[in-house]
Order: sequence, then structure tokens, then C-alpha cells
Amino acid sequence: MRRVFVSGLVVTMLGALFVFGLLRGQPDRDIPSNLIGRTSPAFALPLYEHYAAAFGPVLDLEAHRGRPMIINFWASWCGPCYEEAPHLERIWQRYQDDVLVIGIQTQDRDARAAGRAFIDRFGLSFPNAIDNDSRVSITYGLFGVPETFFVKADGTVMHKHAGPVTEAMMTERIEAMLR
Amino acid sequence: MTRLRTSRSLAPLAWLALLALLALAPAAAAQEQELDPRVFEIANELRCPTCVSESVGQSNAAIAREMRTLIQEQLETGANRAEVLVFFQERYGDWILLDPPKRGVNLALWLLPVAAALGGLTMLGVLLRRWRAAGAAHVEADPADVARVRAVLGATDVGGPAEEDDEPWRT
Repeated sequence: MRRVFVSGLVVTMLGALFVFGLLRGQPDRDIPSNLIGRTSPAFALPLYEHYAAAFGPVLDLEAHRGRPMIINFWASWCGPCYEEAPHLERIWQRYQDDVLVIGIQTQDRDARAAGRAFIDRFGLSFPNAIDNDSRVSITYGLFGVPETFFVKADGTVMHKHAGPVTEAMMTERIEAMLR
Repeated sequence: MTRLRTSRSLAPLAWLALLALLALAPAAAAQEQELDPRVFEIANELRCPTCVSESVGQSNAAIAREMRTLIQEQLETGANRAEVLVFFQERYGDWILLDPPKRGVNLALWLLPVAAALGGLTMLGVLLRRWRAAGAAHVEADPADVARVRAVLGATDVGGPAEEDDEPWRT
């Protein structure tokens, strides 16, 4: 009887572990960022000509401190980046008075041409810059693309999301930042 | 004929492409050769963020190449190995180190196999003691059963135990 109980317990525990593994979601979404709770690193990156009139040729993060930001890293070869681009544009259209959305193109070979095609395809009106040498990506501890950082008005990084973002998910984060 | 003509017209292009490759390859190699050997020593301690099971020293990914350049720049400004590792650790956490410090979850991962081995050995010891104790225990046999066994053994003529045997069930 005792043996049956112990065997049952072991099988139940292994089953629970298996179910936990299945339900815990995609592990790459959970890679923690060392920047959470710390000031988002400063950078100054060249912008695409589309945004010169509104932001100038270079986007200097320091010049925009004081308002919440969404910093999104993308690449033209990245499938999920195509998925999330319309969501980012909609968020920008809705919150541009309160939140700055920044796109940063990184890890792209034919960066300029591919970047322009990507921006034009989705009509991205929020500022998009190029991180040609991946320096800013390294500074932000980037693992891949897309990755998105949510920065509070005081400059501290509140959250990092690896993988495509959605409008609903960003809305929730923005409302928390604006509260 | 058309195909031949096309391949002939493409031949100079192919030669140009080959020459361009030959010209670019040593340039890229030279760029890597200019790096301080210490760069690769440090880079081999770092995990490439965008690769699978490759160090920054081994990977040819753009981000890994840039990280090597960054290490070179830091060494040139006088940073030592530990300071360079801390620079990357501050950005990527312990994950970036191929030999992460043994603390927190990492420590648990190190201790778990040792604990499992100790648990297994303890369990084996307990079971062995139990088996040995069970083997040495005196078993009271029913005299009627003993008589039946003796009768069978006697009938088959295999030689039974002595009358005064302390352990009549053993043959």
C-alpha cells in the first residue's frame, strides 16, 4: 500500500512538472533585463530622413527625458517585427502627446535600403533611427529582435518585452506609466 | 546556343565577383587579426547574445564582432579583464558569462546533482541494510512444512540436513 502511495506521488510530481513546463509560456519572453529599475542608457542615433522635420537628423534620448517612452528594436529580416509594426504605429497615433515611441533598426546588413522599405511599408510616423554598429543594442543588453523597453517619465526602465508587442499589451503598460 | 551565349556574357561578372571576394576576405581577416589576443581570451568567456551555444569569441554574428571591437576599445583605455566582464554583466546580467558566478539559481543548479547523488547513496545504504537485516532474520518455520520438505528431499535422495540442524529450511 505504501509502495503504491510513493509511486503515485512520484508520478504525480513528474506530471505536475511536465504541465508546469507546458504552461510556463515561451522562455525567451522571460529573459530578464538588467536595466529594469535603472535609468535607460542615453544614446544619440541618426534618424531616417522621414523624421528630420519633426525631430532633426539625430535622435538624442537626453533631449526627450521627462516623458514616458517605448523603445522598440527591430530589423527588416525579422518576421515578428512585421507583425508588431502596425500596433506600434497605432499606439503612436493614440498616445503621441504623452508618450514617445522610438524605433531602432539594428542588426541589418543592407540597413538603409531595407529600413526605408520597412518604414514605408507600414507608414511609420514615429521616429525611427539606425543602430548601424549595434552599440546601442549592446548597451541595452539586447538578445534579439524585436525587443521593446518601456521607460517611465523619470527615465527608469519599467519593463522589457522580448517578442512582438500588441496594442492591448502596450496600452496596459502605458496606462501604468501614466498613472 | 542561347545558354552558351548567356553563360559567356556572365563569365566576366563571375570573375569580378570572385575577385571582389578575394579582395574583401583578407581585409576582413586582417581587421580581426588586428585585435589584441586578450580580446579573444575575454570574448571566449562571454556568450553570444544572438547565437546558439557560441561564445562571442567563436561567433561571426555582427553583434559578436561588435562586442569584440568594444572589448578591444576598453582594453585600449586601460580596462582589465574583470572590468570588461563587469561591463557586459551590467547590461546582460550573469547570463552573458559562460562561467556564471555560483549564486542564486546557479548555485542551486550546482548543488542539485550533488544533493541528488547524496540522496541516492543514502537511499541505497538504507536499502542494503534492510536487505541484509531481512536475510539474517531468524524465520520460524511451521514443523509440518519442515516435515513435508524433508519427506520430499528424502524421496528424491538429494541428502537432507542433520536432525539437529538449527536452520532446517536451508539446504
